[in-house]
Amino acid sequence: MASTKMADDSAKLQILKDALYEEIRQHGSETRLFTQRDLLDLNIIPNNDLLLLVRVVQGLTDDKLLVGTTNHHAGLAWRWRSREEAKKYTSLPNDETVMVYSIIDEAGADGIWNRTIKNKLNMHEAVVKNCIKFLESKGYIASMKNVEHPNKKMYIKATLRPSERATGGPWFTDGELDTAFISELEGIVFEYIKTRSAYRSSQVQPTAFSSGGTAKPPKKGAVTADSTTARGTKRSATDISTDDTSAPARGGSAKSRHVFLPMPAGYRHYPTVAEIAKFIHDTGITNNTTLGEADIQQLVDVLTYDGLIEPVRVGRRRGYRVTRAMKQDTVPFQKRAKEREAGIGLDQPLAPGPEPLSNGLTEAPCGRCPVFELCEEGGPVSPSNCVYFLQWLDVEDLPKAVAPNVALPP
Amino acid sequence: MMLVTKPVAELCALLIDELHGELPSRIFATLLSKGRSTLPQLSQYTSMTLRQLRHGVAVLLQHNLLFYHLDPGTEFAFYEANAEHAYNLVRTGKILEMIDTSFGAPAKDVMQSLLLSGQTRISDLVAAYQDKIEQATKAGGIVGDEDDFGAETNGVNGDSHPAKNTGPQVKSTAHLNSIICRLVEAEVIDVVHPKTFESSHDVLKTVEKEAMDKHFPAGIKGNKAKIELQERIAEGLRKVRDECKSLKRKLEQNGSAAKRRKLFTGVGMTNGTYEEDIDPALDPKQVIRINYEKCLVDLRNRRLVQFATDIFGETTAYVYGVLLKLLTKDLPRCRSDPAMDVGEDKDDDDEKGRRSVTTDQILDNLKTSVDLSLGIGKAEKRQISSAAAEKVELYPPKKKVLIAEAEVDGEASPDEDEDDSDSSEESDYDSDYKAPTTNGVNGTHGTKVKFDESAAPKERRLDRPTQLRQHLLLLSESRQHFVRHCGPNEWTVDFVPLINALREAELDSVIERTSGRQGLRLVRILRAKGKLDEKALPNVALMRKPELQQKMLEMQTAGFVHVQEVPRDLKADVKKSFFLWFCDVDRSLNRLLDTSYKTMLHCMQVLEALRQKERDVLETTKRTDVRGREKDTMRKEYYERYSRFLECERKLFAQVMRLDDFVSVLRDF
Repeated sequence: MASTKMADDSAKLQILKDALYEEIRQHGSETRLFTQRDLLDLNIIPNNDLLLLVRVVQGLTDDKLLVGTTNHHAGLAWRWRSREEAKKYTSLPNDETVMVYSIIDEAGADGIWNRTIKNKLNMHEAVVKNCIKFLESKGYIASMKNVEHPNKKMYIKATLRPSERATGGPWFTDGELDTAFISELEGIVFEYIKTRSAYRSSQVQPTAFSSGGTAKPPKKGAVTADSTTARGTKRSATDISTDDTSAPARGGSAKSRHVFLPMPAGYRHYPTVAEIAKFIHDTGITNNTTLGEADIQQLVDVLTYDGLIEPVRVGRRRGYRVTRAMKQDTVPFQKRAKEREAGIGLDQPLAPGPEPLSNGLTEAPCGRCPVFELCEEGGPVSPSNCVYFLQWLDVEDLPKAVAPNVALPP
Repeated sequence: MMLVTKPVAELCALLIDELHGELPSRIFATLLSKGRSTLPQLSQYTSMTLRQLRHGVAVLLQHNLLFYHLDPGTEFAFYEANAEHAYNLVRTGKILEMIDTSFGAPAKDVMQSLLLSGQTRISDLVAAYQDKIEQATKAGGIVGDEDDFGAETNGVNGDSHPAKNTGPQVKSTAHLNSIICRLVEAEVIDVVHPKTFESSHDVLKTVEKEAMDKHFPAGIKGNKAKIELQERIAEGLRKVRDECKSLKRKLEQNGSAAKRRKLFTGVGMTNGTYEEDIDPALDPKQVIRINYEKCLVDLRNRRLVQFATDIFGETTAYVYGVLLKLLTKDLPRCRSDPAMDVGEDKDDDDEKGRRSVTTDQILDNLKTSVDLSLGIGKAEKRQISSAAAEKVELYPPKKKVLIAEAEVDGEASPDEDEDDSDSSEESDYDSDYKAPTTNGVNGTHGTKVKFDESAAPKERRLDRPTQLRQHLLLLSESRQHFVRHCGPNEWTVDFVPLINALREAELDSVIERTSGRQGLRLVRILRAKGKLDEKALPNVALMRKPELQQKMLEMQTAGFVHVQEVPRDLKADVKKSFFLWFCDVDRSLNRLLDTSYKTMLHCMQVLEALRQKERDVLETTKRTDVRGREKDTMRKEYYERYSRFLECERKLFAQVMRLDDFVSVLRDF
């Protein structure tokens, strides 16, 4: 009698368990916490019988279908777990493994360090190791790398993808900063800003301004003087512009005449970060990484810090424009890179943007001398026996005849 | 003021050696190392006879390289080295070139004579030129002799004299007079008076004493009196300073001055159009010298024009040069002296406000040959927000906000609202300006914006004032703040922030050249963000940690970045401490300044070493039968060595001059 009642009871309990579990699943995601009140309000447990609820919840917890947690606000609460997951738990051979697995499970997408597991569970290292080995062989967990702690051995549930924090965001590939990807993208972004923030002109450029501003700059009229005198009339705007287009052809090398010019003040179409992000998205260069505006902003900031571009505010619009427009290469960066692969222009450094400015200090050997601090007349290294200076002055052979033993090795 | 460090002292001594010989150089070096000394003391330090010393001191005094101070009642005067003027010797060539471009070759000739003979009485100068002119007329222009001053001048200047076969540059004494007048009016020449031989410190003391005796015989009581004393002192100092300008004032009072100025201050060379009959009232007894302060103002203008060229291009920079020239015409010096110019602000307020240039003034001074349509891109009218471009900034920018990037996006005031303000301000463009129809601006042409040049014919050309305005607006929009649009059609330059920007640019180029672009990136991040933890850097810079750490260490040794250790607790465990990187621009610049001095010194020393090595050749060239005919008289091998040496010398001097450009930016501008 008792046994039938027991069996009856357990069957009833099973029904209630299933009903409660299904109802819970209907009411929220795996992360939602259900308090006792919530569970009662689901109206599964008849008469709000607390004792019965306890039994049902206990049963579900034993089946690993519910996970009990304590919450600051609500006190004890539960969240549900899918049946497949629960099956994984129940299939585990012993308690230790279950504990290890649950701790990895709780760590979620951030993963957990194996030392932390050991410390939290206060288990022997060998035991933890065994458990992890077992779980890994089952394919339940996987090891992962965290960019913040590249040397720590971390584990994560095999079904999860490591979080952004752990992978470092789009700039990382396999836990390593993908510099090739970044520089490629930088080149593209720079090219985009360059072509959109400067005016590509093919007009003849004044070249012979002296710094004092006294030399007469060659003006457009000079090139076209013959045509003007031939007609003997004042040139109209049309003439001038057509002269512009014909000038390169006359000059021979059409390429050198192309030049970027700064935009007039108040130009409203300097590209913004949003536009750049859209451009990158539309081109689909980053096929399997999605770059948000924040990521592009990071890239643009780096370019700004590099001194290649600068932010401009026109009205409320905050755009970016290229610096030193006149000095920019009119050949696209990508093309230069390709040329380089083909072996052309290897003598020029491959970096977006023009050559940096230079001054007297960087040009003299001293500006880059490794032993500058030691160099002094009368010391072992001194200006009078400086080989760098002799190289720079191009008189290397000269002193060898006079003073064969130069102190500094080249 | 200039800090005289060891490299500076050595450099100055070498410069004096180069230009004025060894004796003055040794005395100068002794004075620098020993401080103020009397002749007997000097004799003791140098073990030279008083006679020798007097010779040397006379030379130094002649070139204003010494200060002296004679306390009443004492037998000997104290001498003190004037390191600043000694350093200025390095600028000789540059100043001459500047005079050449802005005043013409004859003026350069006069200036050169002045540089070589030091402070000169006008009558002596006139006499020297008279001799020369007579000689030249006697020789009838057959002998293309270099003037007697020009023999050894290529020293610092670096360029050897091209043989002038055109006879004397200065054609008559009247011509000479008018040149001197022009130079005096431009303030590049001023008058020597007793106080110019006293160091600024002595002058200050005298003035202080005078002010005390005159206005506060009973001593100072209270803050108010203190401030008043300060003002009195400043006033006294200004008076001393203005004494140098007495000749200029006199010339200006002279009726013909205005007329002359009108004729000659225009841009470019006015060679050959002098009114020879004017004989201005130059007191022949007056002693004149070169005013380096004013020369520096002009040199600064040149540097800024070069800076603008680097950033915008030649046409805009040319416009900028004209603007600067107009703006600094009456600017006596690059930086105002805090001791003297405190009180000046008050009574000069309206005068300072006047320091702006109108668009029309610039337009009047532009050369007609310059095509202003060059150098700026074309954009359709609707692409331009004239409200933003034409923004008038009445006041100079406030001190730099700590984080300049912290701009609030919503701060735009109603007048910045672009959509409606644009239509109201169409004055800049012709009303029938037609938008080119073929322009595919918004990405329809792939990644490249294509500005179709063939569309240009439809566009009516902007008139010249508008083109000029475009250049000016471009300058004022720049991040470096080349120009401030301080009123409708009025322009001014805030030199202090601009020069700071220039300094930063110089620093940046040094960093980029020595530590690469990534180094520059890191420094600029620190500059923008302030102090930053080592762990936060890789994320911002998008660099790998090990590379970054190496770069930072490299730059720390170079003095571009600095690190601060902040312990987390009392134990100050190194492993737990924070390491904050930061960069201190001033510190880095000071270090660079020191490096530059040293580099200049090294260049001079290398030259000295080369001279030693080639001394047999050089001695040959000093022989009177060889001199001037080196190529014919010397053996081929010798001559080759000689010409190679000359080339090295030229290179080294040019390098010293370029280094001085750098030093000027860091120190003087």
